[in-house]
Amino acid sequence: MKGRWLAAAALASAVACGGGQTRLNLFSTDWEDDGGVSIARVWQRVGSLPVPPAADVALGVAGHADKLIGLPLDGSAKWTFAHPLDARPIVAGGVVVVSGGGEVCALEATSGHVVWRRPTGGLALLGAGDDGTVTVAAFRKPGDVGSVLLAVAHDGQVVRQIETDKMLGAPAVLGRMAFVPWAGQYVSVIDLSNGDEAARVTLREETSRAWTQGGALWFGEVGYFRFDERMRDASKGRATHASVPARKLPGTPRLMQPGYVSQAPLADAEDKAREYARAVGSDAGATIEDGRFYATYFRIAMGFDATATGDERDAGPGQPDVGPRVAWAHLHGANFLGGAAESGGIVLCDDQGKVVELDAKTGSQVAEADLGEPVRACVVNVDSRRANGAAEATPKSLAAQLTDVVLADDPQLVVAQRMLLKELAEMGDELATKALVDLASDPRTSPDLLVDARAALANRRNGATYMEAALARHYDYLKDVLRPPPVGPIAHALGAMNEKAAAPLLASHLFDPADTDDDVRETAAALARVGSTPELPAMRQFFGMYRASAGTDEVTDAVVSIAKAIVSLDPKASRPEVEAAAADTMTVAGARDRLAEVLTPMTSDAGLDAAKKAK
Amino acid sequence: MRGFSSLATLGICLAFLTQARAEGLARAKGAGPSPAATLPTDTVKRLRSGDAAQVKAALDDVRMAAKGGAPAVPTIVDLLKRGLPEPLTESAVETLGDTESEGASEVLGWYSRHRNAAVRRAAVQSLARTRGPSAVKALRAALSDPDPAVRGVSATALGTLKAKEAVGDLFVALDHKVDEAAASIGQLCAGPDCERLAGKLGSVHFDVVTGGLDEVMLRPAPDVTDDLKVKIVGRVREVGTAEANRFLKEVQAKWPPRGSARVKQSIDQAVLATTGSPGAPGSTP
Repeated sequence: MKGRWLAAAALASAVACGGGQTRLNLFSTDWEDDGGVSIARVWQRVGSLPVPPAADVALGVAGHADKLIGLPLDGSAKWTFAHPLDARPIVAGGVVVVSGGGEVCALEATSGHVVWRRPTGGLALLGAGDDGTVTVAAFRKPGDVGSVLLAVAHDGQVVRQIETDKMLGAPAVLGRMAFVPWAGQYVSVIDLSNGDEAARVTLREETSRAWTQGGALWFGEVGYFRFDERMRDASKGRATHASVPARKLPGTPRLMQPGYVSQAPLADAEDKAREYARAVGSDAGATIEDGRFYATYFRIAMGFDATATGDERDAGPGQPDVGPRVAWAHLHGANFLGGAAESGGIVLCDDQGKVVELDAKTGSQVAEADLGEPVRACVVNVDSRRANGAAEATPKSLAAQLTDVVLADDPQLVVAQRMLLKELAEMGDELATKALVDLASDPRTSPDLLVDARAALANRRNGATYMEAALARHYDYLKDVLRPPPVGPIAHALGAMNEKAAAPLLASHLFDPADTDDDVRETAAALARVGSTPELPAMRQFFGMYRASAGTDEVTDAVVSIAKAIVSLDPKASRPEVEAAAADTMTVAGARDRLAEVLTPMTSDAGLDAAKKAK
Repeated sequence: MRGFSSLATLGICLAFLTQARAEGLARAKGAGPSPAATLPTDTVKRLRSGDAAQVKAALDDVRMAAKGGAPAVPTIVDLLKRGLPEPLTESAVETLGDTESEGASEVLGWYSRHRNAAVRRAAVQSLARTRGPSAVKALRAALSDPDPAVRGVSATALGTLKAKEAVGDLFVALDHKVDEAAASIGQLCAGPDCERLAGKLGSVHFDVVTGGLDEVMLRPAPDVTDDLKVKIVGRVREVGTAEANRFLKEVQAKWPPRGSARVKQSIDQAVLATTGSPGAPGSTP
């Protein structure tokens, strides 16, 4: 193995040095910032060169990590390549770089034909770039003791091989200059013609990847730096930069995998929870394409408003700001394994080999393709393609999309469902209320989600019709209604909305033994606000039945609330009853004093006035 | 295991029925279990005392008086409407049942929906004795109760009350594994409903269905025709198992001497036909 690399190293040493240039010590750590002089010189040299578009392709890893399926997204025929894989394939320019079986190969992304292949001795592939004539690839040495940078021309000739004890990231190449991120903050520019470090730039953000996209060269990992004339001021934090707004996402996904980590050929949990975005440059700088960034969580895809930079929404007591709002949510039939943001949307592929294109604005599916079989990992690269399929004429509303997702009966989705439930709960749409009612009524709803749904429902202030429809249902063993509606939260909301039409339904729930004690407390509290004369008999019945037999604090609270209601609605008849109860030692201890308090204000003029008014 | 569970349930059901029937027979013959005590004159006063111990003692006196406690019923009803602590509530509910006073059914209906399942069970048991349309209404609703015991007692009580209008509900209950419903259906069904019950053989546990068919077979001829009884015997005979043989033998043994000879003949033939059934006495191993 070593012999192979040594042979290549001999080739590297034969390359002549360029005259009159600043010679830098390759990947040295005693480098001093040159104020952007060297990187500006590189910009002068390659800035005007056209950046060839990279392939628009979806790759599936199938079988036992020994089969690669390529699906060009322009509709060309798919191809397969049988080869053992020890790392995730990488799309670099117009080629696909494949590592495994002790060699590295470059394949034409459109056909799968081998462009070149070289032995590696089993080094781990980290990343690769290609400018149409040369491919550069970075490898990690065994034991993490350093890296190897390999540049191979499309004719198979090794242009340069550099070994270093530094951990290199994923490189790019343009105009025979290799752009190599390393140490998390540097990008060194290696002149492939002589092997020298022609320039270096320090970036003020974690950076381990370089790539070309949209006719520009980019560096980044947690954000995006465009390589342009402003790169000379990068060390002062003034490079052209774009970033995705911070937001809590299910599974805490990464925007990009660190470039110094070799990705396993088969997908893992991190591939199912990913964040996607695409930077786009303009004369003014760089921004996030379409104002959207995306996230996947198993079979959920979500689009977020990237223009909102954290609107300080309160996520609840003790919870931090949760950032930009969800713009859309898409429930898919299978788990997403990979994808890429494109202009106008996102292309995602799933573990069944389906490739879907979703519209950036609405999340509607605009196109679909098929890798032909289930896959165990998937890589998507999109450069010049733009989502231009026919979106649905009337896309689902966000409330409907969120409803679909939160009602999905799939335990692995709960974390994302809880997040989206919070979004749903903040929407003014009455459909959101309906979704919360349905979710809280469905016996299949997971306990975690149920707690959230009930809490959100209690805070709704619209959709009374849906709430009342739910209250009309009761536990009924013979009719297989085995979960009562979420009576407590609904009662709380209806009470707060002063929804008097709900009073008869609320009264009927005073006597449903399947409702929880908390439901009864909330129902009674709501009736104290919205109850009227027709509900008096039921309320008086409840007061009589439970004033001496309330078994819990909640039912005791309910007794007191109902006492307030009946005294307020019909003081003449009810007051003596409540007075008698307050004086009766059989009345539950927790209620007696409070019943006395209920009676006290009624002796004042204000209390009597209130009673008259209520009547 | 399922069979054991069903048999255990059936055992409870049969025990309840046997007791109810024995008491019914005793009452019919005018020989109650024990002569009712006379209601003390101060009972109502003690019920109204507001003192838990006195109320409890007065309730006990009313229970002892059984139907003779009727004069105290309005007071007990009033106490329940105004509210009592839980142990006294249960006691008052049971007491009202002992008085067999229909006037108590309304308030017992209230308590058949109490939050405490023990109170609800006591209420539906009492409703079976106080009777009346409001009792039937409350018991039909209680078939859907979350508590299995409340459902079971309600099903049995509807049979006891001869609530023919509840047969449809009882079939739904039977389909929902309220096994006690079978016996009540057997007591209440008319021709097609009785056949429908027999049709449950095979889909519902045998002992559960025959718990109802047993009732059908012993009902008098004007109520259930001989043709229907012969049909039922035929359905059981078709089952052809040892348990079918055992059931037929039980019916044979209970068949009244003056009962229909035609039905008797069909029973005898069915017993013979099923004697060789696997597991039945006389079968060939």
